[in-house]
Amino acid sequence: MSPPVPSKILTDDVSLLMVLIDTNPHFWSSIKPHFSFSKFLSHVLAFLNSILLLNQLNQVVVIATGINACGYVFDSSSGSVSQRAESLLPKLEEFAENDESLSERDDDSGNGVGSSLLSGSLSMALCYIQRVFRSGPLHPQPRILCLHGSPDGPGQYVAIMNSIFSAQRSMVPIDSCVVGIQHSAFLQQASYITGGVYLKPQQLDGLFQYLATVFATDLHSRNFLRLPKPVGVDFRASCFCHKNTIDMGFICSVCLSIFCKHQKKCSTCGSTFGQAKTHDPSASQQR
Amino acid sequence: MMNRDINGEGRKLNRGEEEEEEDEDEESGRGRDAWERAYADERSWESLQEDESGLLRPIDNKALHHAQYRRRLRTATTAGIQKGLIRYLYIVIDLSRAAGEMDYKPSRMVVVARQVEAFIREFFDQNPLSQIGLVTLKDGVAQCLTDLGGSPESHIKALMGKLECSGDSSLQNGLDLVHDLLNQIPSYGHREVLILYSALSTCDPGDIMETIQKCKGAKIRCSIVGLSAELYICKYLCQETGGLYSVALDEPHLKELVLEHAPPPPAIAEFAIANLIKMGFPQRAAEGVISICSCHKEAKFGGGYTCPRCKARVCELPTECRICGLTLVSSPHLARSYHHLFPITPFDDVSPSITNIPQKLPKSCFGCQQSLLNPGNLPGPCVACPKCKQHFCLDCDIYIHESLQNCPGCESFKQSNSVTNMEE
Amino acid sequence: MPQVKIVAKNFMDMVASLPAMKLDKLYQNAFICQAILRSMPPLAKRYVLQLLFIDAPVTGKMLEESVLADGLSKHKVAIDRLVQLRVLTEALDRKKEATYRMNPTFQMNVQKLIVHGGVLPREPMPSTAGFRLPSLEELDAYAVQQWECFLLHLISSSEAEKATTNISSSMMKVFQRGLLSQKDDKEPPRLTEGGFQFLLMDTNAQLWYIIREYIGNSEERGLDSADLVSFLLELSFHATGEAYNINTLSDIQRAIIRDLADLGLVKLQQGRKESWFIPTKLATNLSISLSDTSSRKQGYVVVETNFRMYAYSSSKLHCEILRLFARVEYQLPNLIVGAITKESLYKAFQNGITAEQIISFLQQNAHPRVAERIPTVPENVTDQIRLWESDLNRVECIPAHFFEEFPSREVFEAACDHARECGGFLWENSKKMWLVVKAESFAYMKEFLRGKKQ
Repeated sequence: MSPPVPSKILTDDVSLLMVLIDTNPHFWSSIKPHFSFSKFLSHVLAFLNSILLLNQLNQVVVIATGINACGYVFDSSSGSVSQRAESLLPKLEEFAENDESLSERDDDSGNGVGSSLLSGSLSMALCYIQRVFRSGPLHPQPRILCLHGSPDGPGQYVAIMNSIFSAQRSMVPIDSCVVGIQHSAFLQQASYITGGVYLKPQQLDGLFQYLATVFATDLHSRNFLRLPKPVGVDFRASCFCHKNTIDMGFICSVCLSIFCKHQKKCSTCGSTFGQAKTHDPSASQQR
Repeated sequence: MMNRDINGEGRKLNRGEEEEEEDEDEESGRGRDAWERAYADERSWESLQEDESGLLRPIDNKALHHAQYRRRLRTATTAGIQKGLIRYLYIVIDLSRAAGEMDYKPSRMVVVARQVEAFIREFFDQNPLSQIGLVTLKDGVAQCLTDLGGSPESHIKALMGKLECSGDSSLQNGLDLVHDLLNQIPSYGHREVLILYSALSTCDPGDIMETIQKCKGAKIRCSIVGLSAELYICKYLCQETGGLYSVALDEPHLKELVLEHAPPPPAIAEFAIANLIKMGFPQRAAEGVISICSCHKEAKFGGGYTCPRCKARVCELPTECRICGLTLVSSPHLARSYHHLFPITPFDDVSPSITNIPQKLPKSCFGCQQSLLNPGNLPGPCVACPKCKQHFCLDCDIYIHESLQNCPGCESFKQSNSVTNMEE
Repeated sequence: MPQVKIVAKNFMDMVASLPAMKLDKLYQNAFICQAILRSMPPLAKRYVLQLLFIDAPVTGKMLEESVLADGLSKHKVAIDRLVQLRVLTEALDRKKEATYRMNPTFQMNVQKLIVHGGVLPREPMPSTAGFRLPSLEELDAYAVQQWECFLLHLISSSEAEKATTNISSSMMKVFQRGLLSQKDDKEPPRLTEGGFQFLLMDTNAQLWYIIREYIGNSEERGLDSADLVSFLLELSFHATGEAYNINTLSDIQRAIIRDLADLGLVKLQQGRKESWFIPTKLATNLSISLSDTSSRKQGYVVVETNFRMYAYSSSKLHCEILRLFARVEYQLPNLIVGAITKESLYKAFQNGITAEQIISFLQQNAHPRVAERIPTVPENVTDQIRLWESDLNRVECIPAHFFEEFPSREVFEAACDHARECGGFLWENSKKMWLVVKAESFAYMKEFLRGKKQ
């Protein structure tokens, strides 16, 4: 039984914006020549301030997505009345330091840029939104905005999909703004399934303009605005055996686990597979 | 009240012993008077209970919370058991004279149809790649209303168009028909029948015991939800084939009983042969692109899916590629059921002994940042994840286990991330 | 029945109607820019944000492109509002297409707000000033008390007499203009129809009604309305509960502050050397109530299907307001029990309160427990209130003319047809050949009949 989904009768444009900021230091150092993290932050802060400026009831919550941890760094509803987004900076710094110290202990940063823990920050954002839903019939309309750059972590596949479905059930759209080099299949799916907007800005220098024109739009206005349409959705999955992203694979008929190569025994549910066939003839007869 | 029947067990937990300790003072202090509650909701007397001094009190939510928690723990214990995720289920609906009875408002069949609609939606949500078919029992014969298929809307539409009742119902005819239909499905599929039975008798042409043995032989799992009273033949059928038999007390109870069949049942090894099926995960093309689809053989505008093997375009998923024969599914569709595979560990109640040391406890819930302190700065009730040791409030606890299926704490730390059951 | 309906007209309409010069002057104040921005419809806000960092004029077409077909009317409303407020200035380019350019002062101020943040209008009192600041709860209580006092004064002057002596009578007159009428000096002033309706509005609407009256009245007192507007908006951006030095205000502003203190918008506090003013929630809410979005507050009324009403309130004002349309039966320390009866409603209708106003009052002030359910007020109660109202309106008076003694049936029937055609037909009796037409179509009928005669 999922918690009751509150009715969406508020016609207001009052929004609760959950912003997930990717703080993966490896990623940011990798694109530094084009676009630095501080520049990125200045665009985002201006955007957050403008959201707060548009409506006094708007609420912004920022969650930092690191490579070893996730954490809340800003909540406009806490503390004094007119909190500005700049106040997240000290907390963000503290978070980044902590994140980095964790990775030193781990010293596995050798393999490229690495992924950040999107599944964790998504889960946290959804928990926060549920709390807002619980607060009563009058609550701001929540949405999630992922500002993400790191490549997808295939190991998070199941967790991210779970979060996406939960967001879909609560009718919370997940917007994604990808600042990285390649598209993110996870975020494409997240935005597609939850009815959010997926966008990969062409020019990062104009990030604020993208944010202000596309992602500042409240859910109420989206009903009559033409927002960027998805340029295709990458529905590839991750296999359970090697965590590779695959577009074709083998599915265990008992538990639906995905494998990239043929196996004798399902590692998830332990079933032994009868005959080794690439294509099951009985299935095709049936259809 | 505790022993009225076995089926109502889950509900009775709400009324049973649990809430008695809990709703002492804080609840009554809030003063919920009669006029503050909805009149609209029928059977309002059922939400009242007597306390030890004979006063009437509304049932509080805490009991509900605990009941849910209990249920979750129960399902958690079944984790690791194989589940039949690819299911072929026939829903048999009794539309005999008895379905016209008005003891359920407005009539049994309308109520049943409503529950079946809800069930079908929930079923497809929880069981991707599974299929449902509908069979009706009427005038002594069984009739196939819809063939096995994966589209909830078409089933619901067909059912709503056929809601009239007459004659007797025949359990045997229904089982025979379903048996024949289910014989054709692939070997890895799980065969199931869910019968919603209103009648108090069955009017059969032959020996029903033979049919039951036949179903047992064909490994069809038969479950029945009765609407009137318990019948021996139903109980026997379910026992023999490994299904569940239950009788509904009222509409909400009926709903609960029917929806119990939505999550996949534990698989019984010999029932279906495990198999590896090759499947493709097509990409969705950009909106506003024109291409020729292979299924309708016409140019289509807008997003379609591209077969990863032969790059042919199809309009809908799941399907089989017309060109290369690859089974095409949408990967999110599959992923909907993964939480059955990797159930999240139940959180532990934070024991009062630890609670006594407030400094050790975090002040707010890790998930939603809600304060974990009661007014008066006393630590309130909270739970902790046994893996990542983060603390959560009770509301998040329910949300995480009932809907999210992720522990935000475990997902937020790389070290513990490697411990999650993703790794074999 | 004549319908006098006072509505809290959108404050922004008033701002928009200010002359261009004054508007441009207003935009020099960043706080006003912020308040104006917040008051706009969602689409207009989006356009402002979109154009914020664009200096060149933008064609209207480009803005329209992003709107779906069924949002076009909203687009027009948004653009109109922006042009009205002079946030956008419209011009025609060489191809005769409308282009828009943002008001540079406004643009710069909003840019500044977003990038650097605003500076507080004035520094709050340092914590060492030597007196205790009232807590937020105390301040709220004070504001509510002042405000209710003022409203109570409206309802029954005699009752509130002792409490309101501190409100200057001249100010009171301004505030109560249009709400109270006084036939002569001996009789106590009576509430007008508008006054009754006023009482049922929610606090923000009431506040703005009063403020509008106050501003409208300002010219008479030699104040510039733009100054007043800008000061009020500025006030709304002060932090609640902080004390500000009165010496930082101009003389005019000081006078205004004193008036506002009477209403509970600010609390005046005398320090050792200087005096201070502390804005209350009412003042900071000023900018919130600018927009049409719903206000959020806890209600207290529960209405049962049997027409009984339970109001959890200890406020005398609430009791008086409920008394306007219901029979109050018991008053417990925190609970008012009453019943909505035909008699009580008739009394309300006579006072000019409409059924819709009563219903919306009951809905807006519903206790949180019942507010969650739909409908908030039982349907049978709302229907009955409307029925009782329409009972009163069963007879409608229309000035009319009566025709009889037609020369022939043909003439009578032709006259009836003609009356129907020109829309003035009211009633006919074909047996007796009587016809009644509306007074305004009498002339046409006369002409027509004259034509027939010939």
